[in-house]
Amino acid sequence: MRQWLLLLLTALLLTGCGEPSWHSKDISGSMPALEFKLTDENGRQVSAKDYLGKPTLLFFGFTHCPDVCPSTLAYLAAVSKQLDGEAREDLQVLFVSVDPARDDPQALRSYTDAFGPQFIGLTGDKAALDALTRRYYSLYEYGAKDAAGNYDVMHSTAVFAFNRKGEARFLFREGDPVDAVTADLRHLSADR
Amino acid sequence: MVSQPVPMLSGVFMKRMEKKFWRVGPCRIDGLLLLIFSTAVGAADLEVKDARLRLLPGDLPAGGYFSLSNASKQSVVLVGAESAAFERVMMHRSTEKDGMAGMEHVLRLEVAPGETLNFAPGGYHLMFMKHLAPLAIGEKVNVTLLFADGAHLPVTFLVVSPTSQ
Repeated sequence: MRQWLLLLLTALLLTGCGEPSWHSKDISGSMPALEFKLTDENGRQVSAKDYLGKPTLLFFGFTHCPDVCPSTLAYLAAVSKQLDGEAREDLQVLFVSVDPARDDPQALRSYTDAFGPQFIGLTGDKAALDALTRRYYSLYEYGAKDAAGNYDVMHSTAVFAFNRKGEARFLFREGDPVDAVTADLRHLSADR
Repeated sequence: MVSQPVPMLSGVFMKRMEKKFWRVGPCRIDGLLLLIFSTAVGAADLEVKDARLRLLPGDLPAGGYFSLSNASKQSVVLVGAESAAFERVMMHRSTEKDGMAGMEHVLRLEVAPGETLNFAPGGYHLMFMKHLAPLAIGEKVNVTLLFADGAHLPVTFLVVSPTSQ
């Protein structure tokens, strides 16, 4: 029943309009294409070009985040389980740490591996992170250190979705209805 | 329910966490922990359900979630938690403002008679810092919830995977 409903919804979405529209907040045209120069979880210098060809999600966070970041990644893992075929296999999630002081490539790799193979950890220096976060009207900010040197990092809660060409398409957040986001991700996979 | 968020650095909170409390054992009935206060202030029946700790790789701080129901006739005030398995346990609340996520310390949480307090992803959570021995998914961790009147409540947390919601 649910699948038929989604098919119907998708069919309705595809008819009558040339441009795809989304259940989630549409950012087509209002946010720029994916572009960055960062270091990946294997220590390689990478740019957005390395991730073209697949539907891509972008999320800013940090590994010393006990609640919001793992909740969002767990949500994304659950949503991607709803997908099948190409939509599931191709989806890649870029987890960009805005806390490079604590998140080196090894730390990022063991972190993203815990959530699934589609999760890729990236980080960079302040200039690179500032450029990328500003590009998507996002902010991050460090809290004060406590006696043990621990600190919180405030960061954007949005997950940005890009099509295979790296064009910005929609954004959503942890807790958004799974069916709607799943339908959008299927749609995103077909958006070439 | 009253929360009093304070800035990240709170000396008072740290001192509170260092206090030692004596413990009693929990009795397990039908999957729930029926817990009885050990202080002279009055016996209050508290039920904790779904206590779980979402383990992250390495030494990363882990989130702890549960629901606490106050079936007694008086309010209780949760002031923190401790566990012999971790160096430190803190009571936090995730906040979201203008699309930005942050965290704040919570010093006190009052649970009125008949009320249930939920520690759930994206809201109140315990932050378990620096485990003192390796932990594995499926294991159980003993945690003690601490109350303003000096009472304490032993709770068993189940260690769950990073992808559990």
